Amino acid sequence: MFEIQVETGGLVKLSGRLDAAQADRAKKTLDTVRESATLDLTDLDYVSSAGLGVIVNMFKRLRDSGHGLKLTNLKPRIRSVFVYAGLDRVLSLE
Amino acid sequence: MVERRFPRRLGSLGPMARFVAEYVDSRGFDPEHSYTVDLLIEELFTNMLKHGKGGGPEVSLKLGGEREELILTLRDFDVESFDPTSAPPSPPPIEEGGLGLRLVQRISDSIRYEYVDRSSIITLTKRFPL
Repeated sequence: MFEIQVETGGLVKLSGRLDAAQADRAKKTLDTVRESATLDLTDLDYVSSAGLGVIVNMFKRLRDSGHGLKLTNLKPRIRSVFVYAGLDRVLSLE
Repeated sequence: MVERRFPRRLGSLGPMARFVAEYVDSRGFDPEHSYTVDLLIEELFTNMLKHGKGGGPEVSLKLGGEREELILTLRDFDVESFDPTSAPPSPPPIEEGGLGLRLVQRISDSIRYEYVDRSSIITLTKRFPL
């Protein structure tokens, strides 16, 4: 089960399991975000490299158009996946 | 070891995760560890789907070990050899590709690849110190 919700003010809430089977759906929604954004990961239970790839793609797209991306409220196990991938050195994890 | 077979397609990730959850629960692992095992399986399985040319209708997933060490074996039948352990070094994290294998290499404690009877077999161990 994976859910993604775009709210006002550039806030995007992700919940459930962002795996390879859900990555395309996540990308389609995230591609609609055109300005600086915050991903609220409070209810994200699982992420794999496919999900990381979608988020990195969003980060690069926003950066290249002069905007920023922040990730907030990561569970420890979600944060550790970003760290293992070396993405904590690239992305803003709060 | 407990074995279960799954269709060789992305839609098997959910059923694989439920298999892992059942196993982890029954063998005394911390339930939190099921997420780590799911991640290792997903990265290996999607790598098989992406790079293993050919392939039968199903793959085999075996789980073994208890409490402190889990052993998993994924077997891809009737497929050309593709050894993920000999893949080139991962690119920087922000570049495309290589993230999945980077995660597997950093999280697992050992990984072995065999090619037997036209099957790619990956055996991985993960320790969870108590």
